[in-house]
Amino acid sequence: MEGKYSTDPEWASVTPIDLDDGSSSGAMPLATIAYPAEYLEATSYLRAVMAANEMSERALSLTKDVISMNPAHYTVWIYRAKILFALDKDLNEELNWLNDVSLKYLKNYQIWHHRQVLLSSKAHFPTFPPKEADFLMEMFAQDSKNYHVWTYRHWLVRHFRLWDQPRELEDVEFLLKADVRNNSAWNHRYMLRFGPRDTSLPDAGMVNAGDLSTAPTEKGRLSIVDEDLIDGELKFAQEAILRAPENRSPWWYARGVLRAAGRGLAEWEGFVSGFVSEGAVKSSHAVEWLADVFAERAGKEAEAVRMLTMLKEEFDPIRKNYWDYRIRKLDQAVA
Amino acid sequence: MPLGKRKVRFPHAQKPNRPTSSIPMTSAMNPSDSKARPGIPALFTQPPPIRDPLITETIDLQNATLEKCLPFLKGIHSTQKDFNDHGVPALQRDLHISYLYDALEDYPEGFVAMDASRPWIVYWALAGLAMMGEETTRFRERVITTLRPMQNPTGGFGGGHGQTSHLAGSYAAVLSLAMVGGEEAFGLVDRHAMWQWIGRLKQPDGGFRVCEGGEEDVRGAYCAMTLISLLDLPLTLAPGSQAREAGLESLTSGLPEYLSRCQTFEGGISGSPGSEAHGAYAFCALACLSILGPPEEIFNRHMDIPMLVSWLSARQSAPEGGLSGRTNKLVDGCYSHWVGGCWPLLESSLEGKPDSTEPPANSLFSREGLTRYILGCCQGNDGGLRDKPGKHVDSYHTCYVMAGLSAAQNHHYRTDSSIASNNFSSSFSWKSSPSRDPANVFSRGDRLEPMHPLYVIPHRAAEQMRLWSEAQPLFV
Repeated sequence: MEGKYSTDPEWASVTPIDLDDGSSSGAMPLATIAYPAEYLEATSYLRAVMAANEMSERALSLTKDVISMNPAHYTVWIYRAKILFALDKDLNEELNWLNDVSLKYLKNYQIWHHRQVLLSSKAHFPTFPPKEADFLMEMFAQDSKNYHVWTYRHWLVRHFRLWDQPRELEDVEFLLKADVRNNSAWNHRYMLRFGPRDTSLPDAGMVNAGDLSTAPTEKGRLSIVDEDLIDGELKFAQEAILRAPENRSPWWYARGVLRAAGRGLAEWEGFVSGFVSEGAVKSSHAVEWLADVFAERAGKEAEAVRMLTMLKEEFDPIRKNYWDYRIRKLDQAVA
Repeated sequence: MPLGKRKVRFPHAQKPNRPTSSIPMTSAMNPSDSKARPGIPALFTQPPPIRDPLITETIDLQNATLEKCLPFLKGIHSTQKDFNDHGVPALQRDLHISYLYDALEDYPEGFVAMDASRPWIVYWALAGLAMMGEETTRFRERVITTLRPMQNPTGGFGGGHGQTSHLAGSYAAVLSLAMVGGEEAFGLVDRHAMWQWIGRLKQPDGGFRVCEGGEEDVRGAYCAMTLISLLDLPLTLAPGSQAREAGLESLTSGLPEYLSRCQTFEGGISGSPGSEAHGAYAFCALACLSILGPPEEIFNRHMDIPMLVSWLSARQSAPEGGLSGRTNKLVDGCYSHWVGGCWPLLESSLEGKPDSTEPPANSLFSREGLTRYILGCCQGNDGGLRDKPGKHVDSYHTCYVMAGLSAAQNHHYRTDSSIASNNFSSSFSWKSSPSRDPANVFSRGDRLEPMHPLYVIPHRAAEQMRLWSEAQPLFV
């Protein structure tokens, strides 16, 4: 077959390795794909240079060609990263190219691991390249809840120790202003405020986790509490709740904040009750909150059951079995 | 059958860059006004009781989804048929079966993006067929032929010939081999090389990378433990592995602690420590923990259970009845498995000791809601299942929507007997029985076969592979 590579003198020294999709063995293979000729040719050269572990300019440009035809080909990304480092390429140039590819293939996630591999090179990136934050905001403008982009952003924060960089919180607040229901942004905020910062220990979604000496119920509990910070975060959550009381995100954020501080849910009783006046319940999460407050208070179990029954019958009946389970647990505790 | 004459139906949603359909429901149906078919409770046809006036992008998307789902939930969409007394359309079994058989055949060049996922295409279709009660062993030879070139001499399977070995691809490959069964299929796997390769993926923090040079996440951990337990691989870390040099001794060292660090302040579980709680990763983490030990012990030791149950329960909402993957995200049929599949594991952990021969009496989620969403909203007109109305069907969704339906129709519980004789005995002690709940809203003809709640293949397939592997011990 005459192709781009087979006719190129630069590639004359390479014997391509043809695709073995199983068809040669007699039985008909499953899930075969009618690959375009260009893809078949490029990947046959890819197999050959990878088998020889070739670190060269021509291999580098071959990886770009394959990526342009199939960005979900994870192997080619890993190979590309190896070549970039072996040839000591300009990684900023790579990032610029990557920006375009990322915006073109919004759902692709190989790109984000590749980016992390590049940025984790202390030699190339001893400090945080501030343009990263701009680019991430460009990504979030397309999809503000993109899981892989947020995972990458969390990695950046920890790697470059950005917890207190004003830009992180500013971006979170910008996104929450645009959509107060962006749970990914709430999660990022939690990690900025309460995530573990000791990088000599493995990372965790909550402090105190994964340590066999502490019970799972102690996860997230800070050993040193900055009460002003806690109060500020609680106020932030309350303002968000007032904008949209049926939004689950700030309610659970607030629970996380109180848990971090080792403070109970009861201190919000007054605020929460405002959403649960007779005849005009404005938030099912407020009802649940009150149920939890009453469940903890001696002699108030019946009130807790009343709240859970409201959820079961009126405000969140799809979760009837869960609310029943909660009621059974309370009954057991009382009995 | 000659290659050129095969009837091929393409799971369009797998195509890269396909613009998602955003055609609104036609006004002729005016979904919010029209009456629902009899037998359907108002819970599944009315908007939620509390709706905030503030409109943001999240709400716009939720409202658009609701509008698209309502005619299907009410049982009044023109494409639905064969309703039962509960207003639920029948499972279009024949159409789905023929869709899955087709999904195993040829794909046109637009599917080049699936080049690194061919083991998955095979797994999704075989698993779907198995749930439909079809005989999958007939594909034995073709599965072996397909997978053989994907295995690397250095251990593991890549997504295709010449591709780096990947835990996800190896998971799909090995489960496919288990489903076709037999000496030749089991024997295809180079278990010794697989053991060495998995050792190289083990990380000092207890988790696993998905491939050499790849990312570390909970999916990697689940796939690794699936391979280790089904193939009865030794637990000792192979010499030269990075984790061994960091002081770990076993493939399981530090793994439950790693998963514990993936629980978030919401109670759910993220793909890696610090990310957002997510349904697909929650399943991977809980199934991985359940392979490592009995749920009632290991969940309690590593997870804050009340918070986890609350988060998982909040994944279901009305009127759709289906499940979402994250807080404030949309319902999607595939979470019927990822989230729905967490319930048997959690319920087992709450039920306590595996001495019960009786299936648990209660579910913590609404099986009715999930059944209605799947049968009402997820069936494609020409076979195959989908994320939600307005989306195209594909094999991934067909497999996992069915797995969710199967989980909703069956009870899974642990018993005292296990076919595994040394480690992982609790993984092989699960039994399933069909739910006889009078509240069930599906018809007899809609019943799917139960799947093993950890390995998502038929119980027998998992047990046969394990027994065969135990009979061929590896000496390392």
